[in-house]
Amino acid sequence: MPRLLELQRDFAAAMAGRDESAAAWVEERGLPGAARLAIYRHAIQATRLRTLVDEYPTVHALVGAEYFEHLARQYGERFPSRSGNLQAYGADFAGFLESMVAASGLGYLPDCARLDRLRATAALAADAAPVDADCCEAAAAIEPSGLLVRLHPSVFICRSDYPVLAIHRWCETPTLTPPGADPLATQVLVWRDGGEVALAQIEPATAEFIERLGDGDDVAAAAAAAERADSGFDFAAALGALLTRRLIVGFDNKETEK
Amino acid sequence: MDAGRAFHRGPIPAQAGIGLRAPHIARVLAERPAVPWFEVHSENYFATGGAAHAALTQIRRDYPLSLHGVGLALGSADAVDEGHLRRLRELVERYEPALVSEHICWGAVDGSHWNDLLPLPYTGEALRHLADRVSRVQDVLGRELVLENVSSYLTFRGADMPEWAFAAELARRSGCGLLVDVNNIYVNSVNHGFDPMEFLRGIPPETVREMHLAGFTRKTGLPVPLLIDTHDRPVAEEVWALYRAAVERFGARPTLIEWDGNIPALEVLMAEAGRAAQYLAQDLRVQDAALA
Repeated sequence: MPRLLELQRDFAAAMAGRDESAAAWVEERGLPGAARLAIYRHAIQATRLRTLVDEYPTVHALVGAEYFEHLARQYGERFPSRSGNLQAYGADFAGFLESMVAASGLGYLPDCARLDRLRATAALAADAAPVDADCCEAAAAIEPSGLLVRLHPSVFICRSDYPVLAIHRWCETPTLTPPGADPLATQVLVWRDGGEVALAQIEPATAEFIERLGDGDDVAAAAAAAERADSGFDFAAALGALLTRRLIVGFDNKETEK
Repeated sequence: MDAGRAFHRGPIPAQAGIGLRAPHIARVLAERPAVPWFEVHSENYFATGGAAHAALTQIRRDYPLSLHGVGLALGSADAVDEGHLRRLRELVERYEPALVSEHICWGAVDGSHWNDLLPLPYTGEALRHLADRVSRVQDVLGRELVLENVSSYLTFRGADMPEWAFAAELARRSGCGLLVDVNNIYVNSVNHGFDPMEFLRGIPPETVREMHLAGFTRKTGLPVPLLIDTHDRPVAEEVWALYRAAVERFGARPTLIEWDGNIPALEVLMAEAGRAAQYLAQDLRVQDAALA
């Protein structure tokens, strides 16, 4: 019997399909050691597949169960799980898909995976209470160049060169008119509304504004960046929309932060 | 504890609870069914926010709770995942569960996780290693950890002791409690050819904090009988029989119905829990008669 570390390394090699030397240490009892190890290998593959199907429903719907299983197996070989918490598994799936579909005409697939991942991330993001009327009143007294906005932790922007939101909705409800797969620049706002994840297509300037706020720019700087994308951008309206959606959880004054 | 968040107090009762799974949460919130206690998988609540936490916080006010981990992989030769342990500690502080459990298994080596309850060799080295890890986790959590016997599809040559002796000695060395999964004992008895009663006799009753019941699948087309612990069907009659023997040996203990695949209506789980409750009540009557 090898030491525990060596035995576990040999077992892991069998799970990865690299080496069956661990079979020599398995009691057969009528079934070869390799066959007993294969039970675990298949169980691990099934768990990983289930996890990816749950996390990437749009990709699963687009490519079908059989090809998705192929992708999941390839992904498992190239990106070993790094956590005992399966919620962390699959974080590299979109990047992996980039390499898999580069020449296949399925260029929208990685971005659909990114949207799926952001939905899952938003669902689990930390809770935070939206600002109240008093807080808004105090913020209104601060110059935009000094005003910092804290967004809800579930707020994300998904940018794509494809109509990923329409594709996602079609996968959820196949009776809708199928979207085109031709390039079409799209920005999707992702957030948690109550307990459910919500998605909305937004203008490029609005996406720029929200991203800048999220990066820590003050309101004036974020608005200036948005105006470079669209000279008609109205930062007050964009800020109002964030408040209406209860996506602002705090205001800070740059001057008092120093 | 947050102000205004009054959790249900007291230990897990020696009654039959149910593993709380996503399809049943809305009904549990709306109807507050007569379930004595719930158990959840710890890792499902490692993220800090969202609907799952909102629901569990409400449920925790009315029900005793057990946290059952599947990802700490304490028997791994790798170092304990400190991030994972920190999240578990935060979760324990947040929900103040009456029991915190994990598994007698390994699951990671050289930084790669296999996300399965992999079998340990029942050797002195593995026992020392696991007992040290369990002690450390108990130190970090500041409370007893409860360790569950896992189902397995292989054993290793050169073992120093049977599985039940390994579990009993783990409890003695580390001071942990044991979670006796009766289905896993039965599955392993078929897969590895031992008498399940010998397993029960090898476990000191005073170490047993909880029992689990679940359904298994019989794998076909193999030259030997092999059972897979699938948690996707009712508890088998053979397991019910073994459970009655376990209740007789250990006394009434909190017992959980686990069902993770093809999850049926809540009533089905409650009916399974009801059957376990009958056996537990019979034991309590024996105890009451002895005290009278």
